[in-house]
Amino acid sequence: MQITAALPVAKMVGANRTVLGNGIVHVVGDAKATPEKEKEVRRKLVEQALSALQSDEK
Amino acid sequence: MRIVHYLNQFFGGLGGEERAGTPLEVREGALGPGKLLEQLLGGDAKVVTTLICGDNHAVENQDAMVADAIEKVRQAEADLFVAGPCFQAGRYGMAAGALCSAVQSKLSIPVITGMADENPGADLYREFLYIVDSGTNAARMREVFMTMANLARKMMSKTPIGSPKEEGYLTRGLIRDQFVEKTAGERLVDMVLAKVKGELFESEMVPTAFAPVPMPPSIKDLTKAKIMLITDGGLVPKGNPDKIQGSVATRWGSYSIDGCDDLKGEDYEISHGGYDPQFVHQDPDRLVPLDVMRQLEKEGVIGELYDEFLSTSGLANPLSNTRRMGREMAAKAKQLGIDAIILTST
Amino acid sequence: MQLTLAIHPISEIRFDSKTYLNGATLCVSKEELRRLVLEDSSFEGVDFEIARPGESLRAGPVFDIVEPRAKEPGGSPDWPGILGAPETAGVGTTHVLQGAGVTLLREQSTGDSRGAVGYVLEMSGAPAENCPYASLNHLITIPHTPPGLPEHSRQRAYRVAQLKIAVYLARAALDATPARTEILDLAGANGEDRAGLPRVAYVGQIFSRQRKPQLDEPILYGTDTDGMLPVVLHPNEWLDGAVAPSYHCSLGGAETYFYQNHPVIMELYRRHQTKELNFAGTVATIASANNFDRERNCHFAANLVKWALKADAAILTKFGGGVPHTDLSETARLLEAMGIRTTVQVTDLARDRRVESALLFNFPEVNAIICIGGNSTSWKVPRVERVIAANSGLAEVLAGPFELESLNAVGVANQQGASRLRAMVY
Repeated sequence: MQITAALPVAKMVGANRTVLGNGIVHVVGDAKATPEKEKEVRRKLVEQALSALQSDEK
Repeated sequence: MRIVHYLNQFFGGLGGEERAGTPLEVREGALGPGKLLEQLLGGDAKVVTTLICGDNHAVENQDAMVADAIEKVRQAEADLFVAGPCFQAGRYGMAAGALCSAVQSKLSIPVITGMADENPGADLYREFLYIVDSGTNAARMREVFMTMANLARKMMSKTPIGSPKEEGYLTRGLIRDQFVEKTAGERLVDMVLAKVKGELFESEMVPTAFAPVPMPPSIKDLTKAKIMLITDGGLVPKGNPDKIQGSVATRWGSYSIDGCDDLKGEDYEISHGGYDPQFVHQDPDRLVPLDVMRQLEKEGVIGELYDEFLSTSGLANPLSNTRRMGREMAAKAKQLGIDAIILTST
Repeated sequence: MQLTLAIHPISEIRFDSKTYLNGATLCVSKEELRRLVLEDSSFEGVDFEIARPGESLRAGPVFDIVEPRAKEPGGSPDWPGILGAPETAGVGTTHVLQGAGVTLLREQSTGDSRGAVGYVLEMSGAPAENCPYASLNHLITIPHTPPGLPEHSRQRAYRVAQLKIAVYLARAALDATPARTEILDLAGANGEDRAGLPRVAYVGQIFSRQRKPQLDEPILYGTDTDGMLPVVLHPNEWLDGAVAPSYHCSLGGAETYFYQNHPVIMELYRRHQTKELNFAGTVATIASANNFDRERNCHFAANLVKWALKADAAILTKFGGGVPHTDLSETARLLEAMGIRTTVQVTDLARDRRVESALLFNFPEVNAIICIGGNSTSWKVPRVERVIAANSGLAEVLAGPFELESLNAVGVANQQGASRLRAMVY
């Protein structure tokens, strides 16, 4: 599945499982957060991705 | 002008479906519709050889048949290769397309064919060839040959070829630039006025619909799943050992994360010109979430994280590259028994 | 809000001991300009050359091209927010030295996505035939800054110096009688005799957030656009110093010259004056770096067009490549959903010449597209008699012969609407 900030493009080319990433310059990060908080953000996104992999919903 | 003409079993006068298994045959001179072609081209145009092949044989033995045909075209010292026209006949169209394509690239002589827009051969080959729009009605053979003859003459005299509409060929789906009278600003105002007044206008570009990708079934047991990470953000080891290009990348690489818990900025660089790389430089996990994936692996949430990540650059990358690379990566993943991929994109 | 352009045609630039206008000849004192530029301690030195149309000459990498223009006292300030107080631009009289350009070169190429040559000014040959800048007389300005200077300081120094020069030169025309004047005014747009005309707006991106602006980078009235939301601007503001290009532009580029001579705005004004349409006004917007920002900005821009400008139709242009392309098409999609007909200008994103790769969007309603191509045009350019560059390394790279891509030939694939390139589908 795909984690990206540019969802319209992913949808257009037909990506089936997508998760909205946190921006273009740090799609699974957050430069404004503390390192701990950032890891949480990243983990959350990855968990969403893993959830999507276990689901048959688009 | 020496011409070699390809016909299927029907137009070649051998018979109908029952002769569709006929292997490639060679005849001297023009046959059937080929005589009309000679006439319309006029001058010193002569069909020196006609090649006939059954539609089934052509499809089932395409490579061998094409190689054989190329030899015959070479031996005939042809200046021009013509196939069909095929109208709606799908197997015929596929064969004609494959032949024209191969003759064009291997022998560098002009090639021309004709098909209906819906012919599967048109879909596969329109980008590489001039395929005259023959429509589906074989009774229009004469008009179709005339259009083919005109185009053939232009190709032989290296006269620039006009638009699909002007010249009667199927849109190839290619772009070439031209300088025009009006600036983009003027064209924008012209077009918006036409549109808002409900008048007809011709857009300079048309969006393409992408064929839907079937959805692979979901993972039933994540704790047993083998997961691979891929990125198109251009993250590569320092030194870019595979020399992956920052834009219009034609290559991708696989990079070891074996025994690694955390990606360090000093070990990597970014080959991608389309985004500000400073945040990923500081911490590459912001692009390829290795640290979190490793945690999840240790916790048993996922079965296994594959010990390499795949990487390329998606910047300004045309579909002709990305489709191929995607297929190659998928093939590798399949071979390794990967159950799922997480692709992180900029 | 009326802007009067006082046009002084220039057919020649010449060096002299003083700066003055002699008919259609602009005489320029290198010494005066040097003193002006060196007021900024960021410069160690500065050189000047003249480039004439038709010369076998190449200069680069080009930082920006500015038309010499100066405000008559009593109207807006010159370059508000950069050279002057940030008051509204677009009022009063602006004197224009038409046919001239102040062209400043970079001391190093911007690197990867532009290649080693950067934007190149080619004054003769095939690229010049289709380049609006090849018919100008250029005062080429070659800066010299210390290598240790931070990049943001260097670029700001370039920006400010170039604008100062352009204003200084045009001041030579303040007392001269212009060859003609042009009045830019939307007064009477709501008159009864114009009631049935379509109201057309222009939505122009002025920056893309896929990169952060440089420290102190002046774009909109001197601000760097960081955090900005789309805003309504009077057309005159674009033309008269409210907007400067970002230091970084991709693809075919954007120059100050074509904000001053904005092709879309000037054409909308022209058709407004011939009563074919009502020029409803403009929105300046930015392309976003994430989906949330994009949705917010696109909605904002669309709402301004609908509710503030009350437009029936809109023309949209972008500032950059793929990311801005998405904002462009999303804003157009929202406008169409509100009943506003749109036309967008895109570049050809297909490096493989295939239509399938050309667009990154597929909205049936965004179907009026002007495509300025650019990816399949290049020229083999020869060795030229004169190469103007800041150092011998760059001069060597530019000497030629080499393959000049149309996207690198400044002005040819311009993103502000000046391009006469068109992608033809075949």
